[in-house]
Amino acid sequence: MATKILSVDDSRTIRLIVGKAFRPYDVVLLEAANGEEGLAVAAREKPDLIILDVTMPVMDGVTMLTKLKEDPALKAIPVIMLTAESGRENVLQIARLGVRDYLVKPFKEDQLIEKASRCVTLEKRPVATPA
Amino acid sequence: MQPSPDINQYKELARRYGIAATPESVSRLTQLVARQDCCVDEIVRVIEKDPGLSARLLRVANPGAADESEYMATTVDEALMRNGIGCALLLAMGTPLSLALIKTFQTMLSLKLESVDVHQLDSLEGTHMRGFISFSGKVTGHVYLRMSSATARAIAGAILGMKPEELSADEVRDAAGELLNIMTGNFKSNLCDAGLDCKLQPPKVGMTDDCSTPVEPGGGLERLAFRSDTLQIFVDVTANPWSD
Repeated sequence: MATKILSVDDSRTIRLIVGKAFRPYDVVLLEAANGEEGLAVAAREKPDLIILDVTMPVMDGVTMLTKLKEDPALKAIPVIMLTAESGRENVLQIARLGVRDYLVKPFKEDQLIEKASRCVTLEKRPVATPA
Repeated sequence: MQPSPDINQYKELARRYGIAATPESVSRLTQLVARQDCCVDEIVRVIEKDPGLSARLLRVANPGAADESEYMATTVDEALMRNGIGCALLLAMGTPLSLALIKTFQTMLSLKLESVDVHQLDSLEGTHMRGFISFSGKVTGHVYLRMSSATARAIAGAILGMKPEELSADEVRDAAGELLNIMTGNFKSNLCDAGLDCKLQPPKVGMTDDCSTPVEPGGGLERLAFRSDTLQIFVDVTANPWSD
């Protein structure tokens, strides 16, 4: 069964880059543009991994992470923060909430794959053979 | 003095997560500027130790000069006397912005961008893409990003791995907004770590004919310029320290 990964970011650009990074792998990419949407998708789809931005409208990433960790059905889902903010207070607060990893923008697709593969199994998509 | 447990814990997390540290001279300068009772001599010493910071301070303190031969303020001391501590803050903010922009181009576009004096580039005229992010708190200001529409399209295409002509106007705007987010997120972290807590507003991006940059009352302006073989990018930072 394909690995389900949820990308929560208000920037469509980042969601497209995340999608591009996972394209060679057997992954179903789910998307949400803010924490509120992210929580709804997480509750409905139970993803294997969440890649989460911090600064977003409606509900930010720290609030979403807090709510996620309070929900017994969702708290075990590993979360990688993907954000441009690497300030001391931010990093300490997020680490205390229980995040699996932290990736600072700008990032290379390889870095994201490396961090994701420490949380979930990523299998290459079978290459289509010509008929 | 022993570092606090929080600082040690942060250093350990930064090592584990691979978070790069802000250059020591920039962190030290921001911390000094954040202390409103700081002695100017201390700031001068920190800036003088870093040739890059010294050169940029002199550029900020001589905004009308085409090159060094036209500088009125020629030493770090003179530049600070002439322009005040706000000038040093702009310097402290400009460095993480420049580093973040250059790193973004390197990592996400595989493009080598160099920081140049604004006078070395042709000025931007007519309709162009302008994005800005406002920040407010213990320091208030804006970061403006300007580029031609062709440059904005080329950058968005390179980030997304698509042909520039295939992109919608929304995709180009969103990519420029994300570029701004990445740049300002980095410098905001530096300001907050130094005690100048501030919050960022979401980026606003659009086309404009207006090439002017409004300066905060009591604040200053630093103009940064960048180029690659084919692209030119302009960044303006306006800031008013201790605005709360």
